[in-house]
Amino acid sequence: MSAIQASDLVHRFGEVEAVRGVSLEVAETEIYGFLGPNGAGKSTIVRILTTLLQPTSGSGSVLGHDVTREATTVRRLIGVALQEAGLDPKQTGRELLTLQGKLYGLKGRVLTAQVAEVTELVGLTDAIDRRIQTFSGGMKRRLDLASALLHRPRVLFLDEPTTGLDPLSRALIWDRLRELRERFGATIFLTTQYLEEADELADRVAIIDHGRIVRQGTPAELKAEVGADVIDVAIEERETGAARSAIQQLQSSGELPAGELRGTQAGYTLFVPNGPQNIAVLIRGLDRAGVRFGAVSVSRPTLDDVFLAATGGRMAAADQDGQGEEGQGRDPEPAGTGRRAS
Amino acid sequence: MSAASPDAGPAGGRAPAGEPQTLAAPAGLVSDVLAITGRAIRGILREPELFIFALIIPVFFFVVQIGALADVAEQQLRIPNYAAFQLPISILFAAASTSGGNALVLDIANGYWDKLSLTPAHRSSLVVGNLFGEMFAVLGYSLVLLLFGFAIGVRFASSPLVGSVGLLALTLLFGIGFASVSIAVALATGSVRATQSTFIIFFPLLFLTPSALPRELMTGWFETAVSLNPMTYVVEAARSFLGYGGGVLRGFLAAALFSALTFGLTALAFRRRVRMG
Repeated sequence: MSAIQASDLVHRFGEVEAVRGVSLEVAETEIYGFLGPNGAGKSTIVRILTTLLQPTSGSGSVLGHDVTREATTVRRLIGVALQEAGLDPKQTGRELLTLQGKLYGLKGRVLTAQVAEVTELVGLTDAIDRRIQTFSGGMKRRLDLASALLHRPRVLFLDEPTTGLDPLSRALIWDRLRELRERFGATIFLTTQYLEEADELADRVAIIDHGRIVRQGTPAELKAEVGADVIDVAIEERETGAARSAIQQLQSSGELPAGELRGTQAGYTLFVPNGPQNIAVLIRGLDRAGVRFGAVSVSRPTLDDVFLAATGGRMAAADQDGQGEEGQGRDPEPAGTGRRAS
Repeated sequence: MSAASPDAGPAGGRAPAGEPQTLAAPAGLVSDVLAITGRAIRGILREPELFIFALIIPVFFFVVQIGALADVAEQQLRIPNYAAFQLPISILFAAASTSGGNALVLDIANGYWDKLSLTPAHRSSLVVGNLFGEMFAVLGYSLVLLLFGFAIGVRFASSPLVGSVGLLALTLLFGIGFASVSIAVALATGSVRATQSTFIIFFPLLFLTPSALPRELMTGWFETAVSLNPMTYVVEAARSFLGYGGGVLRGFLAAALFSALTFGLTALAFRRRVRMG
């Protein structure tokens, strides 16, 4: 049985179709990364699968239980940490966890033990009796995660659990998620806009764009789909026209194999096989044409490249734009797109 | 506690034996309501300054009304002990000025409502628990005002116990009606400002009553408006515990109808919010 299943999920907010026929299946104990820019529809899908929102059409289930018809049963099986850590600032951490535990039907010693266990798991033992209003952003995220784990859910939904956190807090949460899967065999559905996070944690990744899943597979499979190495070359803005001509000429003469050429914020990205060999050809060709260029590097494709190939836009650019569900303003081949360091 | 939800099943769903199970289990409606009420009361106790501020206006009106009208009322209009005549008004005033929706709308705004909605608790407990918490505050206001009344010589017509319990019960029933309006607006709009502005309904409902004078002394359109206002009968019933006549049952019925109506609105707003996610 699948841990999570969605079938042709559609959700409209008035005129806006935020989710446009999403189907997915997540196996038990899998960490499933749901990757997409702001407004791609990730959170809407999480809200549907966690029973907070009813789909306009289509269906979803968790461990075989329909998220609409068997919502209460689904809520017992899942733990959820939403994008905004919704916590009551007037309560202490312990009060919040205890209330949460009671609402999950935990009582007495079991409740006390679980509060202690999850508090330790997220590293908040020293702060748990403080009012939440005194917590930092990272501590609130960890408390939110603790509250999602309190009843030992079999499926955990985490909606951008590390957005806005410093690298240390992010690494801590990653460690805890790995530990959770190992210790409790939990299935984890993780939405993120960080490629590195999906690459680091997820067994499989789905890329969502404009409310549709555009690619799905293991990170290695998705990168292999790109089928080429990535050469980045930094070019001064006034030299971009000359550089493009020079590269295209190298390709048409057969010195460089045919491959996709895309403008980036720093210059150009060229997708070609045998990157280490062809980087030398590229440098010689640009030099011969008198094009002034900066740093040149070759790398294996990243999920960002997969995202680019699938959607025509960089994650980084979409993040910077902060675009809504419609992804307005995304330029399919802009000079101003950037390559996210990962 | 066994008021499990319709789709309640064993925790862990259909997992075969040997597979990991969740610790979650149905808690029951009463347990859910108690847990949410406890949290609401904790929130009220954590902010005593709000409790005190809420008492300032009723006490101010009480003192001003007595200072301005006591002599005239007692000597010219033959209303015995005008302070006793006014005390129920200030208690109802305090009960009406509570805003049960304020805490709820803050939960909605900061996402904690979603967090609670993701638990298997009966969702109605999220509203009812808040309402009960607010009634705890109403009870506190009423007791403080009653003690203040006693201190300045107000006495009940029957035994203090029967009078106090009767007046408090009526006040709570009435308070549920007003708190429900605020909660309904919180659920329907999710707006802090809109929720706070529900206070405004208090004015026509409580001032178009025999708040300053008995109904028999009123004339014209005002008397008609006062007679049509169901709150009039709540005020009169509240006064009856202090020896001013008036139908107790009629007052309880008016308060119950008002609360049923506003709680119905809350239920509609609640269903809408749950449906909209």
